[in-house]
Amino acid sequence: MEWNFLAVLRDFDLLMLGLLNTLKVTGLALLFGVPLGLALALSRLSTFRILSGIAGFIVEFFRTTPPLVQLFWFFFALPILIDVRMTPLIAAVVTFSIQSSAFFAEIFRGGILSIDKGQWEGAKAIGMTYGQCQRRIILPQAIKRMIPAFMERSIELLKTTTLVSTVAYTDLMFQANELAQKTFRPLEVYTIVAAIYFVLIFLFSQFSIAVEHRLAKSGEGTVR
Amino acid sequence: MAHNWDFATILQNWPVLWVGIKGTVFIFVITAILGLGGGLIVGIARYSKSPFVSWPARAFVEVFRNTPVLVQIIWFYYAFPILTGIETDPFLAAVLGISLNTMAFSAEIYRAGIQSINRAQWEAGKAIGMNYNQTLRRIILPVAVKRVLPALTNRGIEVFKMSTLASVVGYVETLNQAKLISDLNFNPIESYTAVAVIFFVVLYPVVQGTYVLERMLRKGD
Repeated sequence: MEWNFLAVLRDFDLLMLGLLNTLKVTGLALLFGVPLGLALALSRLSTFRILSGIAGFIVEFFRTTPPLVQLFWFFFALPILIDVRMTPLIAAVVTFSIQSSAFFAEIFRGGILSIDKGQWEGAKAIGMTYGQCQRRIILPQAIKRMIPAFMERSIELLKTTTLVSTVAYTDLMFQANELAQKTFRPLEVYTIVAAIYFVLIFLFSQFSIAVEHRLAKSGEGTVR
Repeated sequence: MAHNWDFATILQNWPVLWVGIKGTVFIFVITAILGLGGGLIVGIARYSKSPFVSWPARAFVEVFRNTPVLVQIIWFYYAFPILTGIETDPFLAAVLGISLNTMAFSAEIYRAGIQSINRAQWEAGKAIGMNYNQTLRRIILPVAVKRVLPALTNRGIEVFKMSTLASVVGYVETLNQAKLISDLNFNPIESYTAVAVIFFVVLYPVVQGTYVLERMLRKGD
């Protein structure tokens, strides 16, 4: 057995294109997933029973079913159910936006619930409506508390995006499969790809640890 | 376009799906035992004062936590045999990927549990003449493991969902069989919906159970 990285390095731009697409899917899923998560959290906390029931069901359903099943469903089943042209990118973005929104919703909900009840009463006493209080008093504090959990979830999302390779979206994992077949060098290709993911995710998690410590200093962290 | 839902084709193919469900349960049990059990050993090693023990454990945890599990499974399927000469079938590759990944994650859970125990307990163990291992086994771990039980259950739920990734390298489990049914009967909607429902029905009560467990433990502490 002999390591030979030459063949892989020659086609390194293929992997870089894959990496770019991985980041694209992650970014788009975050872009849609976070606001959707907030909407789900607010709905779930609503006193209107039907709304909170529906939001609760969506959150629990997407948290308890495997992301790969969801991806297959959106890619293979949805286009038959409603007449849309489904591309791997759309299926990926739709799946991971909804899937991560279910997890973000729980983070938002936990953050909002962690704020002392007295703050609601205080805001009400000076004449703020529910929306004003939420926007001006509760969410700014809750979001600060949620940041560590939020970043951890984003890292999970980045890892989960590897699944899009199974519906032939050209992310880093898919490009690795292509390159391994083309070069007959699966050992080198998959090792390099694992290393790329490692560096990327390791840097993100180190960054999130740094932020967590910074928040701990300002008295809003979760670090003991 | 109104779709005519027809779950009869799923019921006719129930034996096919059943083979997959058995495959899912089988790989789940193996990976959960190896992953959550092995994680305890790595977690203890990670807590060790000796750098020769704690550093390899730390490196292992960082590598497996910071790479996607699908990359790990595929690496074990295509790259590992070339490196070691050991042939991996889809089952072995998936078991290696999922177990090692779970070991890394649960190691951090156990470590956090051990660290959460008051130092005085270590001292008390020492004071009555117990050595490190005895104190760990008799005093620290029983309390630590109880404290992290909800986090471990959550990991177990993740492992159950992760089992679907084994289908990517061709291991016969629920999702793989659903794909087969869907290809033969042209009913992706019913097939994939059925799989989603199966997972939801199994995991929803477990998730609710963990909430109850968390509340009980909070009261007990």
